[in-house]
Amino acid sequence: MRKAILLNFIVLISGFVWAVSTDLPQPAHYVEDRAGIVSADYRIKLNGLLQELEQKTGVQFIILTIDSTAPLPIEQFSIEVAEKWKLGHKGRDDGFLFTVAVKDRAFRFEVGYGLEGFLTDQFCGQVGRNVLVPLMQQGRYAEGIYQATLALTDRIARHYNVTLTGMPAGYRNPVSDRPTGTPLCVILPAILFILLLSARGIWPLLLLEGLFSGGYGRGYWAGGSRGGFGGGFGGGFGGGFGGFGGGMGGGFGGGGFSGRW
Amino acid sequence: MKERTGGALVVLGVILVVVLIAGAILFSWYLAGYNKAVRLEEEAREAWANVDSALQRRMDLIPNLVETVKAYAAHEQELFEHIADARTKYFQAGDVDQKIEAANEVGALLSRLLMLQEQYPELKANQNFLALQDSLEGTENRINVARIRYNYAVKYLNTYAREFFGSFFCKRAGVKPMKPFEAVPEAAQPPRVDFGRDNLSSQ
Repeated sequence: MRKAILLNFIVLISGFVWAVSTDLPQPAHYVEDRAGIVSADYRIKLNGLLQELEQKTGVQFIILTIDSTAPLPIEQFSIEVAEKWKLGHKGRDDGFLFTVAVKDRAFRFEVGYGLEGFLTDQFCGQVGRNVLVPLMQQGRYAEGIYQATLALTDRIARHYNVTLTGMPAGYRNPVSDRPTGTPLCVILPAILFILLLSARGIWPLLLLEGLFSGGYGRGYWAGGSRGGFGGGFGGGFGGGFGGFGGGMGGGFGGGGFSGRW
Repeated sequence: MKERTGGALVVLGVILVVVLIAGAILFSWYLAGYNKAVRLEEEAREAWANVDSALQRRMDLIPNLVETVKAYAAHEQELFEHIADARTKYFQAGDVDQKIEAANEVGALLSRLLMLQEQYPELKANQNFLALQDSLEGTENRINVARIRYNYAVKYLNTYAREFFGSFFCKRAGVKPMKPFEAVPEAAQPPRVDFGRDNLSSQ
């Protein structure tokens, strides 16, 4: 029996090795800037945007900057942190961790199980390669993180069919869902179609305009009600305004993208 | 006389209660041990199912990836055939051991396939190839995560199956130790392939 207890104990301890190497405390904000590379104005913008994202979609999106993930590779570091922080909700698995290791010149998007369907590896890869890396290479860290986060949150917001007032006005996502040259094949016929229609009469254009302004209208409406919502949620989560309330047990399976600059 | 039988009855009653309690404790101990064996096996199987689906994902990506690479590196025919063979071997694998072996082989060959972009710069610039590479890298990471989790589950199970009482319960429940999924060095490391030329330049 003693031996059994001892063995059980050893097994228990060895089970913790997987989680023991990352001893970061629970996040208190959506932007955990441990490397000190995100300036105050970007931090405020990002915190606001990500809080709004969680309130409207439930997605828990955390940005973590750190000097280095050594001795772990960023892939292992990132999933350990994401699991430890329990980002996302149990069952919905809607957590997201964006890690930047400045001295390693490395980053990783860790995508929760529930988001993998639309934040595909390919989408994340495009955001990393085309949006984040060029800015990081110029040393514009805060801007790079901001732009990458915009591209990702825009995709999430579109999936959940919500409008984020924290987005810059008229934001256009530089990354399309279909990366392999298909957009042009879709856009060109669409333009031709509209041209053809508009040649026949002005009304289709008007209709289109009406659609767009309808979209904007919703945006303003959401903006108006934001104050009330924010207060209610902040209390419920116990996080206070601008703070992150804590993970809800979402699961991660290693999907996403990592890269270097 | 009556008092004596009364006393004996009390003693008998106490013994009975003690035996009953001891029996209940023993029974619950047995049940807990038995259930633990079943639970550990179930967890390991679930973990393997995740590994399996990640591996399946990788296999699904291969035809597209090979087609894309073929357009740029047509005379790497031998490598394409190796990959096709390894893939077939994976699908024909009967048990977990064979699957692990075939999966490791596929992983090593895929590393070589991705290395081809160093020789064919046009491939590196192809958007389709880059997108497929993203998918493959994401999948490799999923496999790795699932693999580590599976190995932990297996470690728990196998330790229990070797324990003094654990082995007894495992036998009772018909639970057998499982084989961990060791990554081959080629699959874990960024690929370094000797194309002969590369070897010379690095030395």
